[in-house]
Amino acid sequence: MTENQTETQLNTEETASRPLELGGLAGAFGTTDHKNIGKLYIFFGLAGGLLSLVLHFLLRLERINIDGTTILDFGSSNQYFQTWSLSRTSLLFFCVVPLILGLATYLIPLQIGAPSIAFPRAAAAAFWAWLVGILIHVVTVFADGGLGVPEPLTQFAQGMDPEATELSILSIAMVIVAVLLASITLIATIITQRPQGMTLFELPLFSWSILVATGIWVLTLPIWLGNLMISWVDFKGADALRYGNVENIWDQVSWLWSQPMIFAFAIPVLGIAGEIIPVSSNQSQRQYAVQQIGIGALGVLSFGAFAQPFFNAELGDQAVYVGMGILVLLPVLAFFGGLADTLVNGKPKVSAQLILALISMLSLLVAAGISALHVSGPAIGVIQEIDSDWLGGIINWLKDLQGTVIATSVMEHALISSIIASIAGVYYWSPKIFGNKLNNNVGILAGLALFGGLFLSGGSNVINGFLDERESVYLSNPSEGIWNQSAVEFINIIGLIGSVLLISGVALVILDLTASAILGKGNTENANDPWNGHTLEWATQSPPPSGNFDEPPVVNSERPLFTSGGIEQ
Amino acid sequence: MNLRTTDLPVAPPVRGRTPLVATGFGIAAMLMYFAGIFGVYLKERALVRAEGTAWIPKKVTIELTQPGMVIWTLLISIVVMQWAVYSIKRDDRQHALLALGTTLAMGAMVLVQTAWHLSQTNLIADEGPTTAATLIYTIVGSYMVAIVIGMIILLLTGFRTLAGQYGSQQTDGVVAASLYWYSLVFIYFIIWIAVFIAK
Repeated sequence: MTENQTETQLNTEETASRPLELGGLAGAFGTTDHKNIGKLYIFFGLAGGLLSLVLHFLLRLERINIDGTTILDFGSSNQYFQTWSLSRTSLLFFCVVPLILGLATYLIPLQIGAPSIAFPRAAAAAFWAWLVGILIHVVTVFADGGLGVPEPLTQFAQGMDPEATELSILSIAMVIVAVLLASITLIATIITQRPQGMTLFELPLFSWSILVATGIWVLTLPIWLGNLMISWVDFKGADALRYGNVENIWDQVSWLWSQPMIFAFAIPVLGIAGEIIPVSSNQSQRQYAVQQIGIGALGVLSFGAFAQPFFNAELGDQAVYVGMGILVLLPVLAFFGGLADTLVNGKPKVSAQLILALISMLSLLVAAGISALHVSGPAIGVIQEIDSDWLGGIINWLKDLQGTVIATSVMEHALISSIIASIAGVYYWSPKIFGNKLNNNVGILAGLALFGGLFLSGGSNVINGFLDERESVYLSNPSEGIWNQSAVEFINIIGLIGSVLLISGVALVILDLTASAILGKGNTENANDPWNGHTLEWATQSPPPSGNFDEPPVVNSERPLFTSGGIEQ
Repeated sequence: MNLRTTDLPVAPPVRGRTPLVATGFGIAAMLMYFAGIFGVYLKERALVRAEGTAWIPKKVTIELTQPGMVIWTLLISIVVMQWAVYSIKRDDRQHALLALGTTLAMGAMVLVQTAWHLSQTNLIADEGPTTAATLIYTIVGSYMVAIVIGMIILLLTGFRTLAGQYGSQQTDGVVAASLYWYSLVFIYFIIWIAVFIAK
């Protein structure tokens, strides 16, 4: 008997001796079952997505009239900024991160044939800490807190409450600690709970992408936490000097929403698309190792903790930053090529998850492309010695893009591609998670709405970036330097339509999930393995029983259910 | 009665090294946290000194007695913690508990000495708040939180050892606690050099 076998057996025995899970509210609040925790993350993540997209819509509405905060009467540019910063924090921490963690917490143990997640109580504690933290953060921002204000008259003269601000900083710190804890449980599960025969090279692409993404989070989010703590200590002091000054707080933490760091939250897009597209094409993924390397390379290129403009004003001209901004396109492009190859050589069956997965990949590709364009000015500057007037003009034009809403567009594409991929994952794995298939037509409609929404909203930001609309649209002089204000405002109306489509897309998914899965109206036919899946989660019942598998599986390929004789029980 | 080894029950299976892997990544996260703050500290210090200003105001005196005592306490705690690992590998739970308890007490001593040192130094006494004071309070305060987390881990490890969960067949929990503790000593060594000695 090998060590791996004995480990897995022991885990199975542990699960068998575990007390039965309670049902109802007691079950929801007291659960340590990774499946219940995963579902809770997904539910709150979709709700948070709706909130953040509504905020996105309100801000878009305000940008129709650039010169003043007149349409919705935010009251002041500071209150507009608080809504603006909340839309970013909620999009990332109230939507993208919980959706990724939800799918990962539910599926990783199943994909690697483990009976449970490592440290189930820590995983549950992470979920509740995340939920409490993010709710406190949202409430405190509405109570005039938030992560600073851009234009302080005096320290707290304009729309800001110091106690609420302090609580905003601490609550988002709590969210980070929770995300780190959840990440470590997932990493420990992937590294130590794999069954016999499954090396890291045989990991399913989704599990591999989660290992890479959470690894990057574990190495970078603590640095962001450090920024927050420095701000908080200074803010708590009798007279904030620099870091705790309200106009500086956001500047210190904004690097999390900028390239290259923002791509760390889009790594699972590759993993989810890498699961769905081969299965939908009834084809195994060729050059599997290359796809794994692509995901790993995106992870390395998204390590953005060094890129903090607050402490390094020359960042935009530095080779590493520029290089990473441009190179990030390569792994996404290579991965997309690999998937296209699978799609072309297979027999693709059109489904909601396939369309959503393709849209998410395309969105990420666009994000990487805009990122390369955004930072390319200094790179082209290297050849400025040619001394050509027209080339110099292009270089200056590209340099001027830095600090415009093109940066917003990179963030928007990267994060929303992650949301679309997570929704693709929900459609693909819904038979496993809920025991019911979601409605395919509604899924396709939601996919098209999300695609159209991102195209209009993100695309309008790209065009307005070229027209020099600044990213700091919350300032009292946002129209400064704009080429053609009426054109920018018109394009922002198009962006507003995109924002409505994005809300519609997520709302459709929530309605479908409520009807098909929660109210049980969905199709339950062949729920155990409706798509002829390739990976281990499809080898057990839907929804899986306590302990996940009747017997510990032994695998010998990265697609054990696709490869004939690949699984032994 | 002659007892042969084949008459003994089969050894329980070896568990996965889950606690060690999780602790390793937890330590990595903590090191990155302190690396980030140190990065800010060194960058800001270099900027202030480049302007010809003193980083620590001249009226502030940072005594080195307490940091010296803390570093010696922590260095000794490495030996004591290793004693806990040594003992648990030999099923000597009594000595393992004694070592864990001693390390816990040493952690408390570090907390007391550090808090007292901060109160004595009074970084913002005469010249008002400074960038240096903010960063030193952040670094040392974060370190005290890390020590408290370490003490909680030691306490839990002690209870689990007392309950018989750890022994020669299962040492991961104690080894993981010791790894975390060693990383704390390493971090304080950097604080000692960069903040207190080099000032």
